Amino acid sequence: MTDSGQELDKILEGLLERSKELSCLYQVGEILRAGDVPWAKKLERILEVIPPGWQHPEVCEARLEFGGQAFQTAGFVDAPWVMEEAILIRGEEVGSLQVVYTEERMSADEGPFLLEERKLLGTIAQQVGFHLTHEELSNAYETWKSAVQSFETGEGKKWQVIVDFLRRADPQLLQRISRRMLNHLRWKGVEGLDSIPGFQRSLDHGTASSDQNQPLARQVFMDLPVPTDLVFRTASEHCADEEILFHIHSWINREKLSFLINTLEWQESSLGDITSALGRFQALQMAEKELPHSLLNVLKTALLRRFFTDQIDYVNIAKRYVSLDDFHEVAAHLIHPPNSHGKLGGKSAGIFLARKIVERMQGEHEALRGIRVPRTWYMASDGVLAFVRHNGLEDVYDRKYLELEQVRHQYPYVIQAFKTSAFPPELLNGLSLVLEKLGDRPLIVRSSSLLEDRTGSAFSGKYKSLFLANQGTKEERLAALLDAVAEVYASIFGPDPIEYRAERNLLDVHEEMGIMIQEVVGTRVGQYFLPAFSGVAFSNNEFRWSPRIKREDGLVRLVLGLGTRAVDRVSDDYPVLLAPGQPRLRVNATPEEVLRYSPKKVDLINLETRSFETVLVSDLLKEHGNELPLIRRMVSLVEHDEIRRPSGLLEDLSRKDAVVTFEGLVQDTPFLAQMATLLKVLRETMGMPVDIEFASDGSHLYLLQCRPQSYTEGSAPATIPRDLPRNRVLFTAHRYVSNGQIPEITHVVWVDPEEYGNLPELSDLKGVGKAVGRLNKLLPKRRFILMGPGRWGSRGDIRLGVSVTYSDINNTALLVEIAHRTGKYVPDLSFGTHFFQDLVEARIRYLPLFPGEPETFLNEPFFHKAENLLPELLPEFSHLAHVVKVVEIPREAEGRILRVLMNAEMDEAVGLLADPGPHPELPGPSAGPSGRIVAPEPPPEEHWQWRIRMAEKLASRMDPERFGVREIWVFGSSQNGTAGPGSDIDLLLHFVGTEDQKTSLLAWLDGWSLSLAETNYLRTGIPSDGLLDTRLLSDQDLENRTGYSVKIGAATDPARRLRMGGAEGGD
Amino acid sequence: MAKRNRAYNSYEMAQAQFDHVAEILELDQGTREFLREPMREYSFLIPVRMDDGTSRVFRGFRVQHNDARGPSKGGIRFHPHETMDTVRALATWMTWKCAVVDIPLGGGKGGVICDPHHLSAREQEQICRGWVRQIARNVGPLQDVPAPDVMTTPQHMLWMLDELEAIRGEKLPGFITGKPVGMGGSLGRKEATGYGVVFTIREALKALGIRPEDTIASVQGFGNVSQYTIELYHKLGGKVICVSSWNQKEQKSYAFKKAGGVNLEELWAITDRFGEIDKGKAAAAGYEVLPGDKWLEQEVDILMPGALENQINADNVDRISSRVKIVAEGANGPTSPEADAVLHKRGIFMIPDFLCNAGGVTCSYFEQVQSNMNYFWDRDEVLNKLDGKMTAAFHAVHEVAMSRKLYMRDAAYVIAVDRVARACKDRGWV
Repeated sequence: MTDSGQELDKILEGLLERSKELSCLYQVGEILRAGDVPWAKKLERILEVIPPGWQHPEVCEARLEFGGQAFQTAGFVDAPWVMEEAILIRGEEVGSLQVVYTEERMSADEGPFLLEERKLLGTIAQQVGFHLTHEELSNAYETWKSAVQSFETGEGKKWQVIVDFLRRADPQLLQRISRRMLNHLRWKGVEGLDSIPGFQRSLDHGTASSDQNQPLARQVFMDLPVPTDLVFRTASEHCADEEILFHIHSWINREKLSFLINTLEWQESSLGDITSALGRFQALQMAEKELPHSLLNVLKTALLRRFFTDQIDYVNIAKRYVSLDDFHEVAAHLIHPPNSHGKLGGKSAGIFLARKIVERMQGEHEALRGIRVPRTWYMASDGVLAFVRHNGLEDVYDRKYLELEQVRHQYPYVIQAFKTSAFPPELLNGLSLVLEKLGDRPLIVRSSSLLEDRTGSAFSGKYKSLFLANQGTKEERLAALLDAVAEVYASIFGPDPIEYRAERNLLDVHEEMGIMIQEVVGTRVGQYFLPAFSGVAFSNNEFRWSPRIKREDGLVRLVLGLGTRAVDRVSDDYPVLLAPGQPRLRVNATPEEVLRYSPKKVDLINLETRSFETVLVSDLLKEHGNELPLIRRMVSLVEHDEIRRPSGLLEDLSRKDAVVTFEGLVQDTPFLAQMATLLKVLRETMGMPVDIEFASDGSHLYLLQCRPQSYTEGSAPATIPRDLPRNRVLFTAHRYVSNGQIPEITHVVWVDPEEYGNLPELSDLKGVGKAVGRLNKLLPKRRFILMGPGRWGSRGDIRLGVSVTYSDINNTALLVEIAHRTGKYVPDLSFGTHFFQDLVEARIRYLPLFPGEPETFLNEPFFHKAENLLPELLPEFSHLAHVVKVVEIPREAEGRILRVLMNAEMDEAVGLLADPGPHPELPGPSAGPSGRIVAPEPPPEEHWQWRIRMAEKLASRMDPERFGVREIWVFGSSQNGTAGPGSDIDLLLHFVGTEDQKTSLLAWLDGWSLSLAETNYLRTGIPSDGLLDTRLLSDQDLENRTGYSVKIGAATDPARRLRMGGAEGGD
Repeated sequence: MAKRNRAYNSYEMAQAQFDHVAEILELDQGTREFLREPMREYSFLIPVRMDDGTSRVFRGFRVQHNDARGPSKGGIRFHPHETMDTVRALATWMTWKCAVVDIPLGGGKGGVICDPHHLSAREQEQICRGWVRQIARNVGPLQDVPAPDVMTTPQHMLWMLDELEAIRGEKLPGFITGKPVGMGGSLGRKEATGYGVVFTIREALKALGIRPEDTIASVQGFGNVSQYTIELYHKLGGKVICVSSWNQKEQKSYAFKKAGGVNLEELWAITDRFGEIDKGKAAAAGYEVLPGDKWLEQEVDILMPGALENQINADNVDRISSRVKIVAEGANGPTSPEADAVLHKRGIFMIPDFLCNAGGVTCSYFEQVQSNMNYFWDRDEVLNKLDGKMTAAFHAVHEVAMSRKLYMRDAAYVIAVDRVARACKDRGWV
């Protein structure tokens, strides 16, 4: 009883306090609102109502200072028990409000004061501040009104009106503007400014641009107030009124935006800071055209950098097509951890820019109208770091340096660890909010890593994208979404991306991954949710099925339903291929071909089972044939030997024999013209061929993704020699040939098509893939080729080709697919986009052979006769020696190597056994008249090969005695085969000579460096000041293994010793 | 059906074949010279305005080997590697093929050197119409009757028909065969070849004194021909116990066996439009799934290779069961010459492709007849008339084989050449 009595007392006491506070606040409000009462009076009254609001009114006094005046209650004395709040006008402190207890009282939250009292005092101070602001503004308004009146009556100049107004309303701003005007006048070259106080004497331009290697003399800028009248009087003498007005206007705007500029420029500001600064900017409702062009560029550039990427090409293009408003939308759809410095990632950047381009270019290109982008939310890239930190999973960061086998082995555990982890609250809330907005529409969670999709490194398909049905209760939907995001996060640590990054020297780059959450385009049909059609499109058509199709005609891979079947390769199905530039040239000519190569399956989301499913087109049609949007434009009917378009609504599609042809879409709709325009506009504006994903819900076309289409930079067609002796030719090809040459192949991995097809056990079929993966790591990089039946990388049905992933073949120079004709049909080629792009990126060539066709020659006896190195290299795979043959070409062909020459224009390729050394069909490097090495034509080698050769040459000419050099090593990109056209040649020299020797050595190396740079410029067009990057190592370095000496004998990417010339061996 | 993918010397092969038969028939020199080569050959240019505004010129052909027995009949091929010799050979074979089933048509063949893969539909239409314009005076329902062939479709045929009708100013549905039903096509075409196979099997059994219901058979392939062969054979009371089918995914064929006889309805339900039987579902339905070539080793009375060339060859001919009494060649060229010699020696009754699968060309003839009189029969009437033709053709060949002690394959050729030679003589040409 007593307990509860005390409780009750406490509650009542609490309530009493609340009511006292409320009544105090109410009275303050009343006083402030009272009209026609002088300010001083109001403030006095406020002080009177404060003490009764406090817990101990008997000893409570109050005091208010404002504008140099002070008001206080009668009994006010200074005492130690005091609380104070500032009074602010537009953020500036103009006074203060104090409450004191004149005697000590029982201690509470803050000394004797309650927490609620602190709040109350704050609120009162705020109220007073608001009122004072309001008062001041009404005064300013009066001034403004009279100014406008004089404006309208023509008295005075317009800019003068503004200056006068500022003088009264915001003298500090006027001061800053005056200073800017002064600078502007100086910049215009106006004389006689020196007499104006605050003028910064013109600087000596001579010193500013001086090349002297000493610091410039410091000049003192005096921060004197600028006499506004004088400045503007001078200005009016030298500038037109419009000019002055324009500048004042834009400077005022600039001032208004200083908060935004500062936030963006300050590297420490987080995405949250930027988002709220953007919000403030939006509240200003400032039109973009009111801002000076330069300022606009600064803002856009900074925003693009902070949200998307530092890549200069991207920023340069994007700033032309985006407006500041666009970033509000990004900010409104952004999920990020607190204090985030992440970006949105490549995929997000790509679709954002593409969307803006489409919007901007709609005026010029009618075909672009109506193209949409689905609603998209972004998660900042450091979300994954926050996630890892939140769950203490930091161990995963080291995994990328493990052996690939280990990475692969542990990956399943990583996935599970991620999936069972919790999300930081900010991310959780963000994701929950997305679901609020999206409702139960199906969605896709896409990875958008910082490394992904950048030109030159298309991580296509390496990271995950997951579809979610997004059905059920909010809790269920959120759980599913979290699960998906965690899984996508885990995919950073998967073996394929790690392998891919290792290959491009990107392992050490800190990988973060943004996430895009996109609503799935489509409609509900029965229990299913699916788009009418989807696909991918490429600016450059690398799979031309007719000589009449040009590369620039583009390529569309089109499927029914979700686009996964167009993006990913599927072993047992085909997308419909179209060339937007040549819509009438179809891949398939006869009804049999059309039937054979039409899509048979469709990917969709089953809303009832809440899963991603693949169903047969025929089953879907039987069930929902007449409900599917656009279906009459997507299918044709099969009757007897004929394939024809459905003639009208009379035909019941659920009961007909239908085949997916997209004939109606091509013939009756502007779809392909739209695609052609889209690809053309994106290519032109982005300055490079692109690769897009799209989908249609039946009424609108949606752009889902856009990124650069990877391509090799202008590999030249090889000259195909004529009249080659048959015994020197390993194979010839005449279809789907691309340009280029592979000069020196020493090994061929031959998977015998017949023996492979006869393998009885699935385990043996898979074993072949494993053996290839192991050989890929053993054989010399880019010096061997893989030849095998059908499609390399078959997934579902591995009888069609050897089951490998990209990491199992990434060291080959060439991938040859042998397609034995079956009857009238040539087996499907493996032109799946993902794999292919990887091949292009890694400059791995792809060549299909069609033995049995009249012109095609394949020297199978050569491979049958050749000695097989497999049992020696991989004893554990000896049982597959009859299927997998490793042939060392020089051993079998009297020291010759294999050279593959390819010419896309002639659609011809030949693999010939040739003597090693420079390629006779191409002018090789030769000594020019100046003694410099001159290579007039694009070289037959890879960049790294040329660099190695040059390094070897340099070493062979090195005189160790003369220069005091003991050993030379080459390392880095030249040695590990990743050198690009602009890469350095990294050399290490063990130097033991004198200072004099060092000087002459450096001069000698410098000469080489310049000559090689010049030669490389001729080869590649990339200029540089020198191509060598040399480091001298002392005895001590080597002994202590300091500096670059760790490269020597390193476990990964070790430096390679070069054979040096000597006095006796040198030339 | 014409033979496809012949080597470049196919014309010489056709001539050698003829020479052999001419020897048996002891034809006079004039007749030999006349039948060794086509009577008429047309080669002409077809200029086409392409979609991009440029002009391209295509080479077109028509060869009429012999029309002594009636208007020439034969397909039109679109092929980038077409040669005059191939067309000559194919036209020659058409003459014999029509003659062996005794239909009043001669042999012809034609084509255009082009690849439809590289041509738009409009350009292909221009080629079709251009072809007709060049040769309008020498073709027609009573002169020369084309049909679809390699890479040509019913659509191409309709464009050609339309052009000729425009030139002549009259309706001439009998100019082309292979038209869609409702546009002058004939019912029963789907079933014709398969049913024709069974009509010859039935007559062969009769000749051998065996009751169909006492026989079992094994069939290679499960396409159109095989499916209707099985249907009608079952109606006669026979039982197919094994059928092979190509598996596209695995790029190999499987044989599906049910000792009690396959159930056609059941198989149809698990077969795609390319004649591929679903392996898993078949196993579930109680079929024994065997390697593809096991169809040939079954202990049956009748083997019916129904899809591909060279299915019975030197390598596997010895695995044919001793129970086999009849080989009915539903496909073109399913037996290699070496295997053929073995079968001949073993005394197996051979119904040669020529005769066995002539149901197709007979139905084309019926389509032409119906088109010419612009009166179309119902399906049963077509198939009944087909029975009559095939039965008569079988007995004519069988009689020659018996009386002249010839292998059935030789007998079929002999009777065909003899009929054409006699027509030429009767007309006083040679």
